[in-house]
Amino acid sequence: MSGFTISRRTMLAGSAMLLASTAMPTLGRAQTPKKGGRLVLAADSEPRNLNPAIVASNGVFFISSKIVETLAEASFDGKDGLAPRLAVSWEGAADGLSATFKLREGVKWHDGKPFTSADVAFSALQIWKPLQNLGRTVFKDLSAVDTPDDLTAVFKFAKPTPFQLIRNALPALSSVVPKHIYEVGKIEDNPANTAPIGTGPFKFGEYKAGQYYRLTKNTDYWGKDEPNLDEIIYQVLPDRTSAASALEAEEIQLAAFSAVPLADLDRISKVPGLKVISKGYEGLTYQLVVEINHRRKELADVKVRQAIAHAIDKDFVVKTVFLGYAATATGPVPKNDPQFYTSDVPTYAFDVAKANALLDEAGYNKGADGNRFSLKLLPAPYFNETKQFGDYLRQALAAIGIDAQLVNNDSAAHIKAVYTDHAFDLAVGPPVFRGDPAISTTILVQSGIPDGVPFSNQGGYKNGALDALIAKASETLDTSARTDLYKEFQKQVATDLPLINVAEWSFISVASDKVGNIANNPRWAVSNWADTYLES
Amino acid sequence: MSGLRRFLHTPEAVAGVVILAALFAMALSASLLFPGDPQSIAGPALLPPFQDWSLPLGTDRLGRNVLAELFHGARTSLAVGLAAAAAALAVGAVIGTLAGFAGGLIDEVLMRITDAFQTVPGFLLALAFVSVVGPSLGVVVVAIALSTWTGPARVARAEVLSIRERDYVAGARVIGMHPLAIAFREVLPNALPPVLALSSVIVAAAILTEAALSFLGLGDPNRVTWGGMIAEGRTVLRTAPFLSIVPGIALVLTVLGVYLAGEGIVETTAVKRGLS
Repeated sequence: MSGFTISRRTMLAGSAMLLASTAMPTLGRAQTPKKGGRLVLAADSEPRNLNPAIVASNGVFFISSKIVETLAEASFDGKDGLAPRLAVSWEGAADGLSATFKLREGVKWHDGKPFTSADVAFSALQIWKPLQNLGRTVFKDLSAVDTPDDLTAVFKFAKPTPFQLIRNALPALSSVVPKHIYEVGKIEDNPANTAPIGTGPFKFGEYKAGQYYRLTKNTDYWGKDEPNLDEIIYQVLPDRTSAASALEAEEIQLAAFSAVPLADLDRISKVPGLKVISKGYEGLTYQLVVEINHRRKELADVKVRQAIAHAIDKDFVVKTVFLGYAATATGPVPKNDPQFYTSDVPTYAFDVAKANALLDEAGYNKGADGNRFSLKLLPAPYFNETKQFGDYLRQALAAIGIDAQLVNNDSAAHIKAVYTDHAFDLAVGPPVFRGDPAISTTILVQSGIPDGVPFSNQGGYKNGALDALIAKASETLDTSARTDLYKEFQKQVATDLPLINVAEWSFISVASDKVGNIANNPRWAVSNWADTYLES
Repeated sequence: MSGLRRFLHTPEAVAGVVILAALFAMALSASLLFPGDPQSIAGPALLPPFQDWSLPLGTDRLGRNVLAELFHGARTSLAVGLAAAAAALAVGAVIGTLAGFAGGLIDEVLMRITDAFQTVPGFLLALAFVSVVGPSLGVVVVAIALSTWTGPARVARAEVLSIRERDYVAGARVIGMHPLAIAFREVLPNALPPVLALSSVIVAAAILTEAALSFLGLGDPNRVTWGGMIAEGRTVLRTAPFLSIVPGIALVLTVLGVYLAGEGIVETTAVKRGLS
């Protein structure tokens, strides 16, 4: 993935130079954002709950990040990879027991009330910690939020909490919602969950089920001269093949989150007026993972797991399933992560003979029909690629004498089968790496997680040494010591293979040439788009 | 003999039989011509047709041989089509005969159940059944039978209503045959021909329903099905249209073949009856 990004970046730079030499005036105009206009883009899902403070997921952020802002956003060149949003500065105490946020002045909610530290305290204590899918882990030791004045919020922790983790969690986990709206009644049933009120550059306009979401410009936005756009329309196009035609017909100007199928990118990149952009998703890396049910006696044997790892041709997967828009994985932290990734882990080269030898060694000999044993394989239905990888994995396992029977489910049934009923032997899952292993990665291998928690270790894997390592890392305050512990974590996971990391991928945007300031931060598709503009 | 000759003189019927014969040949030879798993990866991905003669119809997104998939898919389509039609006809004929022969309360109950099934759109019923029970070949067959047995049931009942007043049925009663024996040994065989005339329509509908279920991802994922092939090809429709078109054509030809052959049989028998 990183290779592709670089080549594209180089190519863009090259074409910019070319433009500069021949068409200076055009380029000059392109750099000044134009005001006004309506951006129409493709949306492939219709989240019901639009409150990003409760549901921290990309599907929700895609729409609500323009309305509800976080304390900080990811950034390519900011310090620690962050750019300020509702907070202007942040600092962690040396003892890990508190973190202080200075908030932005003169910010108003969409209903005109002023934004203060009370809103941050309320969001953190009443929503992020008890209700948010990811905040439950990261903010578990948050005991109080002091508000010495309207623009200062001091987070107090009951146990030392590494500030590196809090910092890494800011872009995805720190959506601030208004206290005065949410303090009445039950938070989960608040009408603002479906018609959010925030501080962002756009206000929630309307939602027509099956048709569109409309966001309108917030004229009182704190950003100077922002936002540029008057309106954003999310046109609901659940059919993936229709996004490409809509772009070509100029009905929409943007299709993010790979709404255009990978196989169409080559063709569509040649359409004049459209550009294919693979930047802007660096902070949203999905991992293609084979989840393993360790309750099966065959799979509890590390040799069998190693054999499966050797049977998977990762390069083939990247080349064929992802058409090159992905990278092979070595372990539970993706290669494009700047802080934690280490390549110093055991790797499993594609080697069918070795895989067969390992299985023989483990005592699972081929029967008369050439099969050693049979497994139930459940590919997650969320992405075409996870389903296709399921088809591939079945073939790869057949080559080493494991008969995998595919079971297809819809999303709800898949989550129930894998994470609640444990009715699987192997599953193909797409967990997300969110900038810090402690946010949503260690939970994939750690033991003691109650049944029914989606995207967690529900394979019955239990490794005391690994659990101890995860526990130690979660309370190590020193950034470099903590980073080293997570490097050790990657090594142990790659050695014992509680799950098998196959590839890492992110998304592709296709946009009209008229859309400006695209992909200018690592979470661009789910950032606030205050600076995005449209040329007429 | 004259029936067969007449049959062979109807060009549509001959065309239908030829297509069907080709299909059966495909289905039967699939394992001989393409041994092993048709879903195994055979070459580079997305190879267009007629480029490499070892893969004449090219490959799909994972590099699987489209021709092998097509042959093995014929097997699934025909198996599901025939099995579902047989099940629907059997269930329909039995229920129709019972209702028509018994009359009274049993007739009322059975026919109201039939009505209930008929008011639910057949495909929706199949869809709901498969998504609840979980997709596998057997379930798909049952689902399709469940949504098509009402037609044969109604036809069988109507036929039985007229047959049960015939003299030979009265005769059977007089010699003390058990009513069930009369229903199934005397009445049902005579009520069957018009019911069987429905079979071509049902087989064709069953094949289409199976394809539609597979297209929606509710087919048996461990088998190649034409509907599944179309669904998979759909994601690359613009760049590799042949992936959807090839199984689509196969599907059209199959349904056409089944229908033409069925029509031919019906017409032949109708003419024969008219002459006699």
